[in-house]
Amino acid sequence: MKNLKTVMMFAISLVMIVTLAACGAGKNEETGSGSAKEYIVATDASYAPFESLTEKNEFIGFDIELVKAVAEKGGINIKIVNTPWEGMFATLNNGDRDLLVSAITITDERKKEYDFSDPYFEARQSMAVPNNTSIKNFAELKGKKVGVQTGTTGDEVVSKLMGADSKDIRRFETTPLALKELENGGVDAVVADNGVVKYYVKNNPDKGFKTIDEPLFAAEYYGFVMKKGNTELMGKINDGLKKIKEDGTYDAIYNKYFGE
Amino acid sequence: MDLRWDIIQNYLPMFLQGAVMTLQLTVISILLGTLLGLLTAIARMANMKRGILKHLVLLLIRVPAIVYITLFRGTPLFVQILIVHFGLMPLFINPENGWFISGELARQIKLSDGTFSGTFLSGAVALTLNAGAYIAEIFRAGIQSLDKGQSEAARSLGFSYAKTMRFIIIPQAFRRMLPALGNETISLLKDSSLVSAIGLAELAYAARAAFGATTRVWEPYLTISVMYLLMTLGLSLVVSWLERRYGKGD
Repeated sequence: MKNLKTVMMFAISLVMIVTLAACGAGKNEETGSGSAKEYIVATDASYAPFESLTEKNEFIGFDIELVKAVAEKGGINIKIVNTPWEGMFATLNNGDRDLLVSAITITDERKKEYDFSDPYFEARQSMAVPNNTSIKNFAELKGKKVGVQTGTTGDEVVSKLMGADSKDIRRFETTPLALKELENGGVDAVVADNGVVKYYVKNNPDKGFKTIDEPLFAAEYYGFVMKKGNTELMGKINDGLKKIKEDGTYDAIYNKYFGE
Repeated sequence: MDLRWDIIQNYLPMFLQGAVMTLQLTVISILLGTLLGLLTAIARMANMKRGILKHLVLLLIRVPAIVYITLFRGTPLFVQILIVHFGLMPLFINPENGWFISGELARQIKLSDGTFSGTFLSGAVALTLNAGAYIAEIFRAGIQSLDKGQSEAARSLGFSYAKTMRFIIIPQAFRRMLPALGNETISLLKDSSLVSAIGLAELAYAARAAFGATTRVWEPYLTISVMYLLMTLGLSLVVSWLERRYGKGD
């Protein structure tokens, strides 16, 4: 019995030591990169075609290729880390991440708390609805069940239409989950950024969805997000963005994902 | 840290509605889970002395009970909720070709709100199945903790197995199980926050919505923490009252 206790204590101490050591090692890596600082980029890789994970756990998508190109031209090192959408903004404040690149729409509300780069993508809200729906435009969503991704622009515009605490709004962790609920018949429509909705409808022709574009909504723009006052990084990002727009890299990436 | 009280104030009605939903979900799941757990525990311990029946009982009653307990205790509740809602429910309740309910009624269930909506149903099913697996083991522990003489005495007085269980074993076991059952209820109340993933407007969901709209962390999450704490404290009081009422020795 006593032996067992000793062994257990030993095992527990070992686990603790290894954990602590691992934490320490992680810290070193982060701060000790020496000459070239590595900026940690957060992305919520569940938002194809902007950012998603391949079966080999590699990041792919429009945003990913773009941020890599921007970093290269802007002369910075980056490391992309998958970060759930919900906690993403909080990671900027506590210094876990330096840059958010995740199809983030530039809004006035968000500008109050964070800094945005120059816009890099024009987005509009669009709706996914079943082919046989009676819904013709955004205003007709009132009184219908609408799926959105929590905290996205889609959430915002639908909240504005029906009231933030409306029971008709169903909020999901990701847009694909909301679209899945549309398949299940749990919502009448999903409102989200056009890029994602179109990509999903195009890739699931058998599900019987169509998209409705809504001219009511003004164009919106995606931007890279930084902590307030991080002018050094901001300059490099905007510089890199400008360069890739000039030399055609931007158009090449754009056409790869959204071209004919 | 400056708290923006206006956020808490604006979202308070949503938080309160969410808390009510959380309580409803927990109460229903724990009641159904207790029933399911009792049946599973009895099935798990079912036994026959000899003959071909012994093997039949093992294969058809004991093994399924063990498989159920193992599966639901051994996988994360979060995953179970997603499977039940996005996998299982569409099979059973589906406007097109639901196994149980289809057509207009299925559509209405899925699109309805609040208590007994489609999402509530999924959440309650997942939580019940999960709680049932844990409670089955709590029942088993309670029953097995009783002296064998109790059931032997009952049987020799001419009680059937069912009557022995109903009048002698379960009431005594139940007293011993009360603390563990209280524990499970409190766990379940907290874990019900995971159901927000499928879009049921319970307490954690309300906080997520508030967070999503404002990108403020402290206000919504501290508020719901306090609310969860109040609910679990209330539950502990109920449990300790039950223990005083029923838990005392014979």
